[in-house]
Amino acid sequence: MMEVRWFSLGSLGLALLIGLFIAWMPRFTRRGLLFGVYVGEEAATGEQAAAIQRGWYRGMVASVGSAFILCLVLTLIADPRFPWGILALPIILFGQLVCYLRAYWAARPIAAVAPPAAVAALVPDPAPSSLLFQRLALVVGLVCGLIALIHASVCYNDLPARVPTHFGFSGKPDAWAPRSPGNVFALPLFSLLMGAGLGLLALFLARAKRSLRRNDRGVSLHAQLRFRSAISLFIAGMGILVAVMLAGLSIGSIEVGLGLSEQLPPWTTILSVLMLLFALAGSLFLAFRYGQGGARLERSADTQPLTNGLADNRNWILGSIYCNREDPAFFVEKRFGIGYTINFGNWRAVLVLIAVFLVLFGVTAVAVISSR
Amino acid sequence: MSISIERENQTAVYEQIAQQIRERIAAGELGPGMALPTVRTLASDLGVNLNTVARAYRLLEEQGFLVIQDRSGVQVAAPAASLAPGDRNALMKELQELAARMRQAGFSMAELEAAWHSTLGVLDLEKRKR
Repeated sequence: MMEVRWFSLGSLGLALLIGLFIAWMPRFTRRGLLFGVYVGEEAATGEQAAAIQRGWYRGMVASVGSAFILCLVLTLIADPRFPWGILALPIILFGQLVCYLRAYWAARPIAAVAPPAAVAALVPDPAPSSLLFQRLALVVGLVCGLIALIHASVCYNDLPARVPTHFGFSGKPDAWAPRSPGNVFALPLFSLLMGAGLGLLALFLARAKRSLRRNDRGVSLHAQLRFRSAISLFIAGMGILVAVMLAGLSIGSIEVGLGLSEQLPPWTTILSVLMLLFALAGSLFLAFRYGQGGARLERSADTQPLTNGLADNRNWILGSIYCNREDPAFFVEKRFGIGYTINFGNWRAVLVLIAVFLVLFGVTAVAVISSR
Repeated sequence: MSISIERENQTAVYEQIAQQIRERIAAGELGPGMALPTVRTLASDLGVNLNTVARAYRLLEEQGFLVIQDRSGVQVAAPAASLAPGDRNALMKELQELAARMRQAGFSMAELEAAWHSTLGVLDLEKRKR
């Protein structure tokens, strides 16, 4: 029971960190944008904008605080077999949605109306030569996934009728299910898909759309290139960690199933903690050092107007969903938050998104059905 | 160095792109051999259709401003070594027409001459004179 309680408290701590990170988001958006609305560089620092931001901070503090206190109390006094702490994150995310929509509607009346100019830099994209790490991540993802798949195929016939499907914190199995292809192959397949998927994502992001400012002497271009390259490297790093960890889990659990080992190798646990830390530290670093889209690097020129995709309110649904059929871009910078979103006006991007969902859903469904 | 497009402008988008690249070349900001963004990058940055940028690049290639290669992308062309007689006549006609328009618009002869010299200065023609 102590184990569940510690897990609950750990989840609660993580949710608190994520909640504070989200609450802090207005601090690293690009100047001119206010909760998914382009209001212009001047209005974004005006009194009305400040009032809307205060509303956001109040709402987020209330949502994060109440989720934390509620889940902490439940963890300490309610049924100790349930990890109440995992409820905190969904509550915080729901609170974020409510706060965002409220701020979005409040920002709409001060939206900039004139259609912005489109601006592009007349320099070639410096991507192809510097994508070594991203390519490495793709290769590592593929290799790890394939090794795990081959290992599972070779061992499948030797596995007993019941295989372990869940492991406790010590790495010892605590749940078993009848042997089935779904049980045995879900993890290696997941390793292959996640590793290769994140590697590909890193490569794609390295060529994402650049959203420049007008007449800024190249300041925003420089900031955009650095931010894009950093986030692409971050995703590639995540891809390597995830692929190695999942492949290790797959091989380790089969070894346990075969009776060759008592528990999962300890390095898989260490690696999952490392992955979590890397994800957290990486996001914080991206936000602190660069800001969304390099917002913190373009301070010397951020009174110049934003252009094109980011500044055009007509192409954004609820300030968060970009849909522009004219624009061939696959990935575009998010208006609020950190990172990129897809262009829903690009049918290729929509197809890829649907395919990713179908594959992930399919693998999960097969694993769940066959473990019954 | 950047280019910008005004949606409200009467001029077609592909022509706005082509015109601004020509201006950069005329101003000496883009020299022979310099690489330009690929069609996809430029179209994505500007948020316009791929065909629009491709059309601008093709137009500039026809006019001798750009060289489009499949592998190494798009480069600014070096000035041609020799001139076809047909081109010579057509371009001379354009120049005469432009000079006449400037004169009619109120340029004095001295101003015309100064404009001509400063334009040539930017193109750095002295170095290429035989």
